[in-house]
Amino acid sequence: MILEKDPWNIIITGVGGQGNVLVSQILGQMLVDKGYVVTIGETYGASQRGGSVMSHLRISHRAQFSPLIPEGLADLVVGLEPTEVLRVLAPYGNPSTIVLSNTRAIYPIDVISGDAKYPALEDVVEKIKGLSKKLWVLNATEIALGLGDPIYSNIVMLGALASLELLPIDEEGFARVVEILMPSNRLEKNLQAFRKGAQAVREFN
Amino acid sequence: MSIIALDAPGKNVLLMGNEAIARGALEAGVKVCAAYPGNPSSEIIGSLSQVASQRGIYVEWSVNEKVALEVAAAASLAGLRGLAAMKQNGLNVASDFLFNLNLTGTKGGLVVVVCDDPSALSSSNEEDSRAFARIGDLPLLEPSTFQEAKEMTKWAFELSEELGLPCLIRSVTRVSHARGNVELGELPSTERKAKFDTARPIIPVPVAWTHRVLHEKLEKCKGFFEKSPFNRYDGPESPELLIVASGACWMYAAEAVETLGLKGRVGIVKLATTWPLPEEFLVEHLKRSSTVLFVEEVDPFIEEAVKALAAQRGEDVGVKRFLGKATGTIPSVGEMTPDILMGALKSIMGIPYEPRPADYAKRAMEAAGEAPLRTLGFCAGCPHRATYWAIKKALTLDGRDGFVLGDIGCYSLGMGPAGFFQMKTLHAMGSGAGLANGFGQLGRFGLEQPVVAVCGDSTFYHAAVPALVNAAYNRANFTLILLDNSATAMTGFQPHPGTGRTAMGEEVPVVDMEGLCKALGVEVEVVDPFDIEETVKRLSRFLESERGVRVLISKQECALLRARRPERERFKIRVDHDLCLGKECGCNRLCTRVFKCPGLVWDPSSGKAQVDEAICTGCGVCASICPQSAILKEAATT
Amino acid sequence: MEENRGLKALETLVFDRDLCTMCGACAQMCPYLVPWKGRIVKLHDCDLPEGRCYEYCPRTRVQLDDLQEAVFGTTEVDPEMGVVRRVLATRAKDPEMRGKAQTAGSTSAIVALALEEGIVDGALLTRKGDELLSEGVVVRDPARVWECAGSSYVASPTLATLNRKRWSREEKLAVVGIPCQILALAKMRRSKFPNPTARPKVVLTVGLFCTWALNFGPFSRFIRERFKGESILGMDITPPPDRLLLVKTQQGTQALPLDDIRPFIRPTCAICWDMTSELADISIGTLEGRSGWNTLVVRSQLGEEILDRAVERGLLEVEEMRKEELAHLKEASLLKKRRAILALKERKEGGSGYLDPIPRWAHLVEVASEEVAR
Repeated sequence: MILEKDPWNIIITGVGGQGNVLVSQILGQMLVDKGYVVTIGETYGASQRGGSVMSHLRISHRAQFSPLIPEGLADLVVGLEPTEVLRVLAPYGNPSTIVLSNTRAIYPIDVISGDAKYPALEDVVEKIKGLSKKLWVLNATEIALGLGDPIYSNIVMLGALASLELLPIDEEGFARVVEILMPSNRLEKNLQAFRKGAQAVREFN
Repeated sequence: MSIIALDAPGKNVLLMGNEAIARGALEAGVKVCAAYPGNPSSEIIGSLSQVASQRGIYVEWSVNEKVALEVAAAASLAGLRGLAAMKQNGLNVASDFLFNLNLTGTKGGLVVVVCDDPSALSSSNEEDSRAFARIGDLPLLEPSTFQEAKEMTKWAFELSEELGLPCLIRSVTRVSHARGNVELGELPSTERKAKFDTARPIIPVPVAWTHRVLHEKLEKCKGFFEKSPFNRYDGPESPELLIVASGACWMYAAEAVETLGLKGRVGIVKLATTWPLPEEFLVEHLKRSSTVLFVEEVDPFIEEAVKALAAQRGEDVGVKRFLGKATGTIPSVGEMTPDILMGALKSIMGIPYEPRPADYAKRAMEAAGEAPLRTLGFCAGCPHRATYWAIKKALTLDGRDGFVLGDIGCYSLGMGPAGFFQMKTLHAMGSGAGLANGFGQLGRFGLEQPVVAVCGDSTFYHAAVPALVNAAYNRANFTLILLDNSATAMTGFQPHPGTGRTAMGEEVPVVDMEGLCKALGVEVEVVDPFDIEETVKRLSRFLESERGVRVLISKQECALLRARRPERERFKIRVDHDLCLGKECGCNRLCTRVFKCPGLVWDPSSGKAQVDEAICTGCGVCASICPQSAILKEAATT
Repeated sequence: MEENRGLKALETLVFDRDLCTMCGACAQMCPYLVPWKGRIVKLHDCDLPEGRCYEYCPRTRVQLDDLQEAVFGTTEVDPEMGVVRRVLATRAKDPEMRGKAQTAGSTSAIVALALEEGIVDGALLTRKGDELLSEGVVVRDPARVWECAGSSYVASPTLATLNRKRWSREEKLAVVGIPCQILALAKMRRSKFPNPTARPKVVLTVGLFCTWALNFGPFSRFIRERFKGESILGMDITPPPDRLLLVKTQQGTQALPLDDIRPFIRPTCAICWDMTSELADISIGTLEGRSGWNTLVVRSQLGEEILDRAVERGLLEVEEMRKEELAHLKEASLLKKRRAILALKERKEGGSGYLDPIPRWAHLVEVASEEVAR
């Protein structure tokens, strides 16, 4: 698949512990397998302890690009957490940005402890819609919980992304990468998560 | 099994910069690899340790970087290839040995990889380690891409053997932790036998001779660097602006020039061998333009060296307008980003550039303002939260304005709300105990405040043992709290002498922390921080003592370690809403507002606290602090 | 911006200004304030806009008329000594009991009677602990009341015990305290602040006379220096003109000039206007000039009933106060009021609200200043 823009820039964002880095690695390898030049930059440090996480993926036919996407040049944002999408769109979004977002909130400690308020989810989704060209949503966490562990929500999102046909990624390519990168007894569960994501995603109007 | 040992030459894989470095070392036939964990370098030895037995190499997590370098250097002196990896602070620790080793020279290839962290994304300080190359007269390489990280590492071993010198490779977070395409090379099957030549003494003196030899080696190195394919020029014959970029900054420069449409006007010198400078190469390209912009992080290392070169070779190079950190064109602190560079280029080249409409940017910024901040805190069930809670209570009851000196690890969060603002100083590994040695002598000058130092278990083995010996010997008066959670947690749970396991997965006897303290003749006690009252009691007693150093080992497993086991929950915790006072006078949400464990959720609609079962690990500490005994704990059923 | 009436205000208005009396009324109701080794320690910040700690504190706003109305149902006061029904000289009848007491055992006799007769289920008393530190203790057995006899002179946060226990039913309590504690108890009774947990009902207050109390920390260090290693069995203050602090140890009794002790008086005592515990049911102190006898002031109906019962049962001996003894008592009480008013003026508080409105006797004190000045 020829990229409409080279490099094509994806940001995958979420909260520490959601498996953000792993899913960006899987997606990156899937694209490398398809012949692309991929650069992934991560912003994490102490994120395991509850902070925001961002992966910048650059996809190109011709060159390695900076692991940091320049301001305003995100083509696609995949959000494992809705407010993190807003946090990413502020520096990197533009009117043509496409967004795929999980609709389940993860509360920061200040909200959990009652010292801060989490905005109403409908408002957040509306705001995301207002800042993007197209928006797709699904409750990936709920699907993952149905499979037994919220940690699968990142794979659910990957399956959803695959179904949008923005990139040449599919279940077969996914299975091949998972076999190398992850413990073998989890392959079946991961495939289920991938498929359910593909089925559940819908466009938000 | 790590992807770095994949035996598939020619295959294109996505590797992290650190993995590429590790792969390069494997392809060079490295035999001994040592490091101490430190972001952004940990994955180098981390990935090598996963393939150690498979590849028949020795990999070690050493207690600190000086020892790690010595371990790798021993391999080199025995004719094998060795690798030591560290973050910027690690090179500081290893530098004493390094600046002797440069004078004694090496045998088998020895590569020292230092991963700097500009902007201190996961560090306590910001530092540009390249200066060590200049101080030590050592060859320095800076990879700009992932393929290059692999190729450079492989070549560095050859270079090191040619010169008989350790070779420095300097990476940064944005290369080490980023991923990109790497084409794998051949994995060697050469075998060398370790043998140490006892005929010749290895000693850095007399320096009149050894230092001169070192300089000669560096000259020889320059020759190699002049021909290195890692350095190159891209751009027009006579550009309006010449950029000299190294490391990650080269990627930013290449992208910035393309994005701004400046390919016809701006040329980029990619400098990869950055000490000693390849002078002829640079002179040749400096001639191209009268304006030169240096893009590097963090210090003007290349900038100053090249300006000195230009002054020396003024007749060849001509008069230049140099732009960089000295002129404020590029910030002198923090990491470089494509946006900062594009901003500089916009003004130098006088071109407009708006990636997106201004009103979109404004709307997006406003919308982001709604996203609540994610402040960092301890995980649910973290023993540090309990220890700091006990420390706060003990110091407050003591009433003499006692203070806590600390250093680096998860417990550094003790400086903020998560640790109830107890930790007051933070410097290098082991500095808490070190400073306490000093404060503990100030009683004679009127210091009345009790002195406390905190130190993690990994940090203890790394740096605090000498400080403790000093305290025992010089009779410093302070309390040392060892936060023993059986983990080097912050960097990813690498094993250490207290965990009973090595980098290569071997089970080994634990180096007994309590036994070590006892052997030093200091008063030592062990307490479970989850028993808050007992911890407060012991600590209060220690605070009152004036008899030299006392050690309190606060011993409880890291919550994340525990979570990996099936019996992860100690207790089942729930809040009895009939007893919970919530916001009322008598409690005012002590558990959610002050203790702030993420397992405890404040529900504004019911006005009560409740337990989030998905997050709670069942440590039971909250149950002991609730003034109403409204938090109930029952033994967990498996 | 509304004025804070919770812990924040308590800190700025009372703790930070060194006005804490160590009565204990604010402590142990919550996890934020605890009594510890002679101090009230704030363990964490509380951001509630109002709370019981502020309400009960004897150094936050005192509306004296209001409190007298709440406690006695009247605001008719004797300007020197508050509400007074009777003033008598008393002592415990049993000489053995008298020997155990500080002066004459009237307090212990009254409290023991109240327990025996079931007027109260328990009595909150102050027991001397190690090293001059006392603590509140609830006594239910009348025979054990005598274990708490004897003055301490070091401020004890006895009322914290009232706050601490989780009381399972509405027990009736008697409390023996010094004037600031009695004042706090009056504020508690007056307070409309809801109590989220069960508390005992304080039905009988016995207030002790008090001129000042000592700061535990500095005073105990001083005593430890002076009496190295010896344990203190008791202390007493001799009447004028001697003015000595008698310290009784196992080795014997030593006399220290009172001036040596003055540096350890809590600063807050300087602004205290109440020598005779004016808000108690019964107030008891020494009787200067008549060694071995107490002054006992009856203020309430309950106080009357208890006194009569005590006499009836032969537990208490009662005699009339002589005119000059009464005059002397009033003088002393007025002197403390005068000192308090002057000290308050000197402090330039500006709006702390303590003693607001200014009590009616304030003018009396100014006018009579020449008469009472020595």
